[in-house]
Amino acid sequence: MIDPSPTLPRKPEVRFGQQLSRGGHWRRSALFSGPAVIWLALLLLVPLLIVTGISFLTRGEYGGIEWHFTFDSYKRLAGFGDLGFDALYPVILLRSLALGGATAALSLLAAAPLAFYIARVSDTMKNVALTLVVIPFWTNLLIRTYAWQIILSPESWVTQAVHGLGIGVAGEPLYPGTLAVLIGMVCDFLPFMVLPLYASVEKIDWSLAEAAADLGANRVQVFRHALLPQIIPGLVAGVILVFLPATGQFVIPDLLGGAKTAMLGNVIQQQFASSRDWPFGSAISFVALVLVMAGLWIYLRRGA
Amino acid sequence: MKSKTFPIIHAVMAALAVLVSTPARAEEPQTLNLFIWSEYIDPGIVTNFEHEFNCKVNIDLYEDTESMLAKVQGGGAGMYDVVVPSDNLVPVMVKQKLLAPLRHENIPNLKNLDAKFISPDYDKGNKYSVAYQWGTMGILVRKAEGKPLPDSWGVLFDPQQQIGSFMLIDSVRDQVGAALKYKGYSINTTDIKQLKEARDLIIEAKQRSVGFDGSVGVKNKVLAKTAQMGIVYSGEAARAITDDKETAYVIPKEGSVIWVDNLVVLAKAPHRDLAEKFINYILDPKVGAQLSSYTQFATPNKAAKQFVSPDDLNNTSIYPPAETMAKLEFLQDLGAKLRLYDEVWTQVKAK
Amino acid sequence: MKRNSLALTLSATALYLFLYAPIAVVIVYSFNAARFGATWTGFTTKWYSTLLHNSLALHAAENTLWLGVFSTVISTVLGTLLGFGMSRYEFPGKEVFGKLLYVPVFVPDIVLAVSLLLFYSIIRSWLGLLELGLTTMILAHVTFQIPFVAIVVRARLVGLDPSLEEAARDLGANEWQAFRHVILPLILPGVMAGGMLAFTLSLDDFVVSFFTSGPGSTTLPILIYSSVKRGITPDINALSTLIILASVLATIVVAILQRIKTSTRNHIK
Repeated sequence: MIDPSPTLPRKPEVRFGQQLSRGGHWRRSALFSGPAVIWLALLLLVPLLIVTGISFLTRGEYGGIEWHFTFDSYKRLAGFGDLGFDALYPVILLRSLALGGATAALSLLAAAPLAFYIARVSDTMKNVALTLVVIPFWTNLLIRTYAWQIILSPESWVTQAVHGLGIGVAGEPLYPGTLAVLIGMVCDFLPFMVLPLYASVEKIDWSLAEAAADLGANRVQVFRHALLPQIIPGLVAGVILVFLPATGQFVIPDLLGGAKTAMLGNVIQQQFASSRDWPFGSAISFVALVLVMAGLWIYLRRGA
Repeated sequence: MKSKTFPIIHAVMAALAVLVSTPARAEEPQTLNLFIWSEYIDPGIVTNFEHEFNCKVNIDLYEDTESMLAKVQGGGAGMYDVVVPSDNLVPVMVKQKLLAPLRHENIPNLKNLDAKFISPDYDKGNKYSVAYQWGTMGILVRKAEGKPLPDSWGVLFDPQQQIGSFMLIDSVRDQVGAALKYKGYSINTTDIKQLKEARDLIIEAKQRSVGFDGSVGVKNKVLAKTAQMGIVYSGEAARAITDDKETAYVIPKEGSVIWVDNLVVLAKAPHRDLAEKFINYILDPKVGAQLSSYTQFATPNKAAKQFVSPDDLNNTSIYPPAETMAKLEFLQDLGAKLRLYDEVWTQVKAK
Repeated sequence: MKRNSLALTLSATALYLFLYAPIAVVIVYSFNAARFGATWTGFTTKWYSTLLHNSLALHAAENTLWLGVFSTVISTVLGTLLGFGMSRYEFPGKEVFGKLLYVPVFVPDIVLAVSLLLFYSIIRSWLGLLELGLTTMILAHVTFQIPFVAIVVRARLVGLDPSLEEAARDLGANEWQAFRHVILPLILPGVMAGGMLAFTLSLDDFVVSFFTSGPGSTTLPILIYSSVKRGITPDINALSTLIILASVLATIVVAILQRIKTSTRNHIK
């Protein structure tokens, strides 16, 4: 980053655009922002509107769509399907939220020591420590996920060791299962929690903690009142960065859950990749979209 | 000054130019786009076909027939040249206008088919489809010392009869069919009560299982000892037994699914002529024999049988004896009622 | 600055081990002779030679690279222009648009994937355009890449000294020239970082690619997914090891390049 040079006279600071007429702004926006705005309008906004629209249409007898307005997909989503009432989909929604929440919580638990550790090593080590967090993020998610299949398979020594400790049934795999899914999720999302948290931890003003301690606060009180408020922005950013994508994750539950425990993402995938029920798949997608919008609203309101 | 802005513009133009020209690259006149199950064609046959007809074959793979149809429905009838639907999906694809009629004058080898596979119920007059391979569904089991082989679907669906870890098959009609058969119902039932029973059976079994996979995936996981047994198709079982003598194939006594996979040409196939040449090539007696030797499924090609090894022809995993055949049932297209199965399947996966 | 306690150092080490366990396992197992399962049956390098003759894998690698390069070039150009345009010029609805820009960052891949699948399908049935293939995949990837590039570039622009823009204008440069010759060189590290991020996202993407791919446009993640589903992994382990090595090398090269840049700049100062 370039520092403002002290030798230049500080003349009135005028950024581009500050003296332009409204038309001038629009013309220049058309040049610079225009192409990307059009691109996103066509390939993001329109498709999402199409999903919303199709969720109110009827499924054709053999898949595809018929132009006939209906709330059927939403009724089915609410539990009133062809086989009678079953609160299945609300349960899946809750379960996906729970999985996202558990992933975010565990990631936070794991990320906190790492963030504090990195913030306290020497500056040279800091680069190394941060790069070490980032490298797994640059390597393919699928590769890291199926690696857990190997690690948790019945013959691996990790599994043997776990069974040796008397946990679980010998010969039965740790994977597929909810535990395997959670492990895979945390391993995948940890960098997204560590980085924002570290950014906040690094900026901590430790003198506040010392002052609090001097005033007789115990360790819990110091953390609660002097440190926690300072890392809240990073914490919120991290939680949302992990929670939202984790809720809609479909690859990890699919590969590590043995396609047994369905999440929101798996149900959507199933509608488009085998059941050919586009309206129903669209309805679930729409629910996921609303969820994201709500999360995004919180995220942007906190100004993170 | 201005000239220096050109490199950026050039870069963008070049990128766009390539973008526009990529479809052209994929549409060279002599390319056959084939969408087929995994491990379902001998790579040697593909190479020979490429040599003989001076073309290139592009192969994409799928693991179950429903996902093939979903992909084709999403990508349109011009997406591939040849795909391989199972018997019950041929009428679905016809009604969806996804298939091109076969021009029989281009497929003289049609005469090689066994009479049983000519003009089947699901495609009268072989208007759209030609049988590729046929087979059954059953259980691939790792033999346990001193224990008899299981002979019932109960080994999966009844906790009392379970003797080891198992995998279910990730294919709606097949898996629901297995549960229906266990209960003594038809695999083509549209009775909601029966379907609910089947659903509950599978949901219960799912909790005790190692998970769902396609037939090839189940086979590989049994070979890898991730599971003791699992639902597979006959060819996967026969190949597994060749790889590992400690495994066996069982068709449960309650009955099971018999199926025929078919070669079809998509309605807007970019290379319809080549597609028909390919179908004719597969129907060649020697090619047909090579195919079945590789897949270890049964051949519908009567002329090919003389080139198939006697070992394979006498293998009851591949060609079941008459008393087993009597217990097998074909899946049928159920029209609008199919969504009952979809709902069952979604619930099974989601519970 | 406080020192790290032993407990903190130990838990940090454990977490690093946790992050690297899968990567290490894949590398180790790429030398395992067993064809099925996780039992170690001996050391071999045969899976690497198998891989060299696996035309599907080579073709998928080629597709992945083209997809990554083209989508990254387009999204970096559009995203940089957008990042600059949004930080300097007003247009109606900019506020809302700026918020919507975050949607692709947070929205589950699967929702984006199926919405594009439906969009392509409708366009195809109306106009006969957009057969699924590399083109539709590039369009899809650019869509989720643009916001990342724009956000990274905009962050870089915020820290820029306004007097430089002022000077360029005083010297008679029009906006485009000033952008091209003054701003762009200054924000180049941000643009590079955005581009790298975009490229990584493209290489990593499975879900969007899976739904928007067509005949012969299989990418490495799609290949890996279907192989894993089928339970055949030995040469996929070898393939993954090569991918891991490439990504680690790339990360290190980028880190070193940034080092050199900072140190030269500090030197000049």
